[in-house]
Amino acid sequence: MTTGTIDIGLAPGDASRGAAAPQKPAGNHPAGALRTCDTTGLPVCLVAQQFIKLHAVVAVVFLLVGGIAAILLALTRWPAVHLLPAEWYYRILTLHGLNMLIFWILFFEVAILYFASTSLLNSRLASKGVAWAGFALMLVGALMVDVTILQGKADVLMTSYVPLRGDPLFYLGIILVAVGTLTGVFNFFATLWIAKRDRTYEGSMPLVTFGALAAGIIATVTLLHGAIVAIPTFLWSLDLMHQPDAAWYRLVWWGLGHQSQQVNVTAMVSVWYFLATITTGAKPLNQAVCRGAFVLYILFINLASAHHLLVDPGVNAGWKIWNTSYAMYLAVLASMIHGFTVPASVEVAMRKKGFTKGLFGWLAAAPWKNPGFSAFFLSLAIFGFIGGITGVTLGTEQINIIAHNTLRIPGHFHATVVGGTTLAFMGLTYYVVPLIFQREYRARAVARLQPYIFAAGIVLMSMGMSFAGSYGVPRRHWDIEFTGAQFSHGFDPGAHVMLGLLGLGGTLAFVGLLTFILLTVTAVFFGPSNKGRAMTAW
Amino acid sequence: MSPEKPVADVIRSEHAREEGDHHAPGTFVLVLVLLFTFAVYYFANWKALADVWQVR
Repeated sequence: MTTGTIDIGLAPGDASRGAAAPQKPAGNHPAGALRTCDTTGLPVCLVAQQFIKLHAVVAVVFLLVGGIAAILLALTRWPAVHLLPAEWYYRILTLHGLNMLIFWILFFEVAILYFASTSLLNSRLASKGVAWAGFALMLVGALMVDVTILQGKADVLMTSYVPLRGDPLFYLGIILVAVGTLTGVFNFFATLWIAKRDRTYEGSMPLVTFGALAAGIIATVTLLHGAIVAIPTFLWSLDLMHQPDAAWYRLVWWGLGHQSQQVNVTAMVSVWYFLATITTGAKPLNQAVCRGAFVLYILFINLASAHHLLVDPGVNAGWKIWNTSYAMYLAVLASMIHGFTVPASVEVAMRKKGFTKGLFGWLAAAPWKNPGFSAFFLSLAIFGFIGGITGVTLGTEQINIIAHNTLRIPGHFHATVVGGTTLAFMGLTYYVVPLIFQREYRARAVARLQPYIFAAGIVLMSMGMSFAGSYGVPRRHWDIEFTGAQFSHGFDPGAHVMLGLLGLGGTLAFVGLLTFILLTVTAVFFGPSNKGRAMTAW
Repeated sequence: MSPEKPVADVIRSEHAREEGDHHAPGTFVLVLVLLFTFAVYYFANWKALADVWQVR
C-alpha cells in the first residue's frame, strides 16, 4: 500500500466507516506557515517542524555518544575482556549516564512536545524565539557537560553525590540543560494555551497530547528539583558556599534523577498510543481511564523516587514504607492500566479488521514487519515483563536490602529506559523521518530487522545484569576480581557466565543501535524525498 | 487490505465509542500471564531474602 494515506485498516463494513469524520476546526497558522501531511492528513506547523527536526537530530547525536560509551562499559564489565582502565571506566560511566538518560531523551521529548501541541491540536508553535532560546541553552549545556567529563574534570558519575566534586562547568552545563528544557516545556504549555484560546480543536485534547501534557508537568517538577540541587552544588564547586548536606543532596537529587525517568515513561506511553494509532488504526480503549492513569503519574511519581533511598540512613523506615509501598503502587497502577489499554486497543482495532481467530489471531496478524509497530510492541513487552516486574519487586523495602547497589538495579532500569523508552522512540523515528523530514528510509529490510536486534540485545544484557546482581555482583564497579588485593575475593562461576551474557547482549544492542543511527542518518541526509506524496508504507 | 482512513480522522474521532470497543480477550490473557510472572518473581525474592536473613 503506497498510495494516498497510511492503511490504518478498518474492516469493510466497519461501523465507523459510515460515520462522517468530525469537522476540522480552523487552525491559527499564519499564511504560508502550514502544510498538510500527505500521509496522515495532520496539519504540520512549519516552525514546529523546524524545531522537531533540530531536536531529533541532536538527540540522535547524543544517542550515538551514549551508545559508544555503552559498548565500552559492557566490554569492561565483562571480566574476560575488561577493556577500560579504572579511571576511564568511571569517566565513561558518567558520560554514558548523562547522554543516554538525560540528553538523548530530553531532546527527543521536546520534539514530541512540539509535535503533540501543534500537529495534533492544529495550532502554530507559540514562539519561535523561545524555541531557539531553549534549544540553544540545552545544546550549549549538554556540550559543556560532555567536554568537561572527557577532560577528566568530572568523574563523579551521573548522581554526582557530594562530597564528590566536579568542575563548575559540569554543574553549570546541567543547569543550562535544565533551564533550556524548561524553556521548551513552557513553549509547549503556551502552545496548548493559544490552541485553546483560538479554538483550533474541539472537545478535549487528543489522548497523545494529554499524555504529553502530563509529561510536561512532571518535567517541570523534575527540573525544579534539578535547579534546587544543582545551583548550591554549582556554588560549592566555585567555593562560594559550604558543601551541601550529603543526605539532603541525595533526597533532592532523586527528585530530579528518578522523576526524569518518569518523564520518559509518560512520554513513552504517549508514543505507544500514537504508534498504536498510526500502525494499526487503534483508538484508546477508554478515554477517562487512560487519562486518569496519566493523572496518577503526575500525583504519585515524585513520591515513588523514595525507592532509591531504601537503604539510606538519612531517612526513617516509615517515610520509606509510605512512599514506596503506597505512593509508588499508585504510580505502578497507572503503568498497569496503560499496559492493558494499549495492547487492548490494538486488539480491538485488529479484530475490527477481521482478525478474530482465537485469542491471539490479532497478535499473529499484527504488522510485525513494520518497524514502528515491532519497536512499539517489543518496547511494551520489555517494559512490562522485565522492567515493571523487577521494578516493583526491587522497590519493596525488605527485598531491596538484598539487591541494593548490585547489578540487579541497572538490569531493571535498562529494561525500562532502553528496552522501553529508547526502543519506543526508535519506533517513532521510523515515522518522524518520512513524515517530518519527508525522506524515505533506504535498506528497508534492515530497518524491519533493527528493532528485533536491539530488543534481543537489551533483553540479554538486562537479564545478564539482573542474574549477575543476584550473585551479589555490585553495580558501578570497575574490577569485581579486586586484582592485586591482599585478600582474594571471587564470585560464583555463574556470575561470570551472567557477566558474559551482559557483554554479549550489550554488543548485540550496540549493533542494533548503530544500525538504527546509520539508517536514520542515511535517510535524513540521503533518503529519497517524498514531498507531495504519501510516505511509502512500512 | 481494507480501504484507508487518514490518521488525522482517527485522532479527531477518538472519543466516539463504537460497538466492540472493549472486546479484548487476548490482552486479558496476556495480562494474566504478566500477573503470574510477577507473582513467581516476587515470591522468589521473598524466599531469597528469607534464605539470607533468617528469623528465629
